[in-house]
Amino acid sequence: MMLRIKGLNGLPLLATAIALTHIGCTNNPYPAGESKRNVHYLNFGEDPKSLDPTFSFTTVESNVLDVITPSYFRYHYLQQNPVRLVLNLGTKEPTRTRTANGGEVWTFTVRKDLRFSNDVCFPDSKGRAITAADFIYAWKRMADPKIGYPLTGVFEDNVIGWKEYAAAFSQDRKGMADPNYDKPFPGVTADPNDPYTFSIHLKRPYPQLRFIMAMHHTTPQAREAVEHYNDEYARHPVGCGAYKLTSYTPKQRLVLERNENASPDIYPTEGDPGDREAGLLADAGKQLPLTDTIVFDMVRESTSSWNLFLQGYLDETTLNANNFQQAMASNGMLSPKMQEMGIELRRAQQSAVYYILFNMKDPLWGGYTPEKRKLRQAVSLVLDSQEFIDLALQGNGTPAQWMLPAGLFGYDKDFKHPYRVVDIERAKKLIAEAGYPGGKDPKTGERLVIYIDCAAITAAARTQYGILKRQIERTGIKVEIRSTPGSIFRDKLIKGEHQCILYGWFADYPDPENFVFLLYGLNAGPGKPNYAWYQNPEYDKLFEKVRDMDDSPERLTLLNQMRDMAVEDSAWIPFYHPEVVTMSHSWVTNTKVHPIARDVLLYRKIDNNLRAQKQLEWNKPVWWPLFAFIGLSIASAIPAAIVVRRRVNRKLRAGGGAS
Amino acid sequence: MLRFILRRLLQAIPTLLGVLTLTWFLFFGTASAESIARRNLSSKDPTPAQVQGWIKEHGYDQPPAVQLRKATVDMLMFKFGKSDATKEDIWTRIRQGAGPSIVVSSTIFIGTVFGAILVAVLAAAFRGTYIDKTTTIVCVLLMSVVYTVYVIGGQYFLSKQLRYGPIWGFDPASGLFKYILVPSAIGFAAGIATEIRLYRTFLLDEISQDYVRTARAKGVSETRILAQHVLKNALIPIITNTVAVIPGLILGGLLLENFFGIPGLGSYLFEALGSNDFSVVRAMVFLGTLLYIFGLIMTDIAYAIVDPRVRID
Repeated sequence: MMLRIKGLNGLPLLATAIALTHIGCTNNPYPAGESKRNVHYLNFGEDPKSLDPTFSFTTVESNVLDVITPSYFRYHYLQQNPVRLVLNLGTKEPTRTRTANGGEVWTFTVRKDLRFSNDVCFPDSKGRAITAADFIYAWKRMADPKIGYPLTGVFEDNVIGWKEYAAAFSQDRKGMADPNYDKPFPGVTADPNDPYTFSIHLKRPYPQLRFIMAMHHTTPQAREAVEHYNDEYARHPVGCGAYKLTSYTPKQRLVLERNENASPDIYPTEGDPGDREAGLLADAGKQLPLTDTIVFDMVRESTSSWNLFLQGYLDETTLNANNFQQAMASNGMLSPKMQEMGIELRRAQQSAVYYILFNMKDPLWGGYTPEKRKLRQAVSLVLDSQEFIDLALQGNGTPAQWMLPAGLFGYDKDFKHPYRVVDIERAKKLIAEAGYPGGKDPKTGERLVIYIDCAAITAAARTQYGILKRQIERTGIKVEIRSTPGSIFRDKLIKGEHQCILYGWFADYPDPENFVFLLYGLNAGPGKPNYAWYQNPEYDKLFEKVRDMDDSPERLTLLNQMRDMAVEDSAWIPFYHPEVVTMSHSWVTNTKVHPIARDVLLYRKIDNNLRAQKQLEWNKPVWWPLFAFIGLSIASAIPAAIVVRRRVNRKLRAGGGAS
Repeated sequence: MLRFILRRLLQAIPTLLGVLTLTWFLFFGTASAESIARRNLSSKDPTPAQVQGWIKEHGYDQPPAVQLRKATVDMLMFKFGKSDATKEDIWTRIRQGAGPSIVVSSTIFIGTVFGAILVAVLAAAFRGTYIDKTTTIVCVLLMSVVYTVYVIGGQYFLSKQLRYGPIWGFDPASGLFKYILVPSAIGFAAGIATEIRLYRTFLLDEISQDYVRTARAKGVSETRILAQHVLKNALIPIITNTVAVIPGLILGGLLLENFFGIPGLGSYLFEALGSNDFSVVRAMVFLGTLLYIFGLIMTDIAYAIVDPRVRID
């Protein structure tokens, strides 16, 4: 009896321990043997919302989609200084013809060897050949309001007949099919003599169309696929890229496999200076892609993904505030342990800008009078970008002098923003001149208050806003941070109910127009991107010229004039250009970061044998704590057993005495 | 018995209606249909027409009373519809998620119940001795730790430092054991202390009963008293306590599933809450309520079955 009680305590533990060591307990999260194959392991922090090429927009989505659904142009992977477009599905540079009424016609010619990947939506599941009609179909989908092309605003006023064509779609229909797709779209037309040529008709010149033709929205799309999958199309894109999507379990796993129908494509043979030395041209001329399979696993928690990376189960990761301390030594280099593991770290400036923005409609902080300007200029003078970058971003950023990031046309590395030097005395003087000496309202004696709205929920974000508050309060002005849930924050922004925010903009394409349009007067309105509600007719006039121009010295002059106007008004305080820090293991090569392009996975190469070896080496289970725990549990039961024995014996004796 | 069950089922209807109405008001009290539409549309600024189109497509443009009525009727008919965010069929997703959740949470459940009974019996048998005291101290310590710490700390020690199981992932095809080992151990450690304390109380209640004294007086051995008489009677409150949570095992654990990437219903709800996916949240809350009510009815029935003193009519 007694032994059974004791045994119950120890046996299951022992059994577990034996089972563990015998099953060959492993922390490898993947199906057995998979890591030995030529698979590239990546992770999502959040699930792609949609992989419908017409709708999808975020970086996460583009990383997947851009290797499935390529476009007419692509960015040269290695030549990034400056970034440049090269032909991808197109065979030649588009021709541009001016029309009599000031418009423009662009004519595109596509490759003849393109095929969709094999898919059940095609007869016999064989991907069919692609013609210009599939490109035109993609443009029709862009106009279809039910789908929600994110850049509709850019085109609806410019592409001939867009609005009328869009209005003819039924919004209430079930599924994707609509008879309107059978009708011609006057803005995008086929060439009756050449099935591989199509034209886009614009009301006014739009040089940025080249960049649009490098985005996945303009990829050729198969009408069969769209109408076969309907709502499911968002999880089942069909394209002609190097990869095809073979399995996708939302919020779990997405697998891309090499597409057997992809047209021949080779690794670039030229790069920027230094690329050859960095080994980036070792695969020059080789057939793309260099990896058979790409697996995206969805790991929501950054702690989990970081640890998976350290165990060698993810090939790459981005560095964030949470894991920065672990990865970096105090000298700004990778920590010795990481170096020993062969981890490589890269920093790359993003084509983006973060800025402090005032709502120009605000009665206190908005407005265009000299006093109002002085108030905003004063805030600009106390904001210390470098300190912010060092403290809140672990040094990963560059102070911004103006909107445009380096590498873009119009970026001037010598430009110094007159109010972007830290000068607290001058700031105080400006505030006094604005009628608020000491940062106080003379009428009430109360301190001026800036309400900064944000959707800050993470600890890192709270640090950022804390620094902002401290910096601005050096002028005597009070800062209140109003933190709300993301949806409420966005609501406020859309309705223009905010006073001041810290916000960021990431380039859609590398053209200054994609930044300066953020202050265009016609872009101010509910849900429009001019969140400063900045209205300056002169700025708008220059913007309309700059928008329609090709790069030229004249365009540069106009851009500089716009900049000087906006700087004086200080509705925007340019703050910093962010950097992204990525890390990869020694078995991953061709890891150059591109500021715009998202199809870089085509070029990645994996040494899967090295990976398998390192994974084994780094992940041997540590058994002694388990055995120590079991030993301790059993040992602690021994005195109990002794007590039981004593009790039982005593009972027996006592019982004997009574009878 | 049948009448009792029927009556309880009828009583469940107002509860369900109340929960559905409350969820609806809580959701739309904090977020407007427009902001939900924007969240689910592209990350770029959607045009007002797109926003209105989305709202119309999802039926959030109708008057609140109509929406509420329709939502309630649909739920009661088990027509969960499609997710606002991903357009996936919610039923399909619930069916897929139930498996992984059940596997993990029932492993934890069974382990915890049996483990707790075992330790509680020991503690009760050696009441007042160092074994009982140590158990109490350890239990109080375990109960004082926040659940999040168990999850993060457990993952750190068991998966990262000791490497007993994957930090993340779930693939039944390549062996369930390795994926559920660490999450189960964490769930076990986090839940067992409360149960031990509770079961110990149940056991002590029985130990002080007259029939125990009688048995002792008759010379029945201490082990036999404990195993045959005390435990059997103490099982009544234990069973009724545990039956209530059984249906809820399907729902899994929010945090545990989220951290270990287990594609169960816990992480499904977590995700839906994060993305303002009202149709999913509504369906999951409804399901949760339903299972809870079902659990309570089961408890009453279990009482009638195991405790001869209780009669239901």
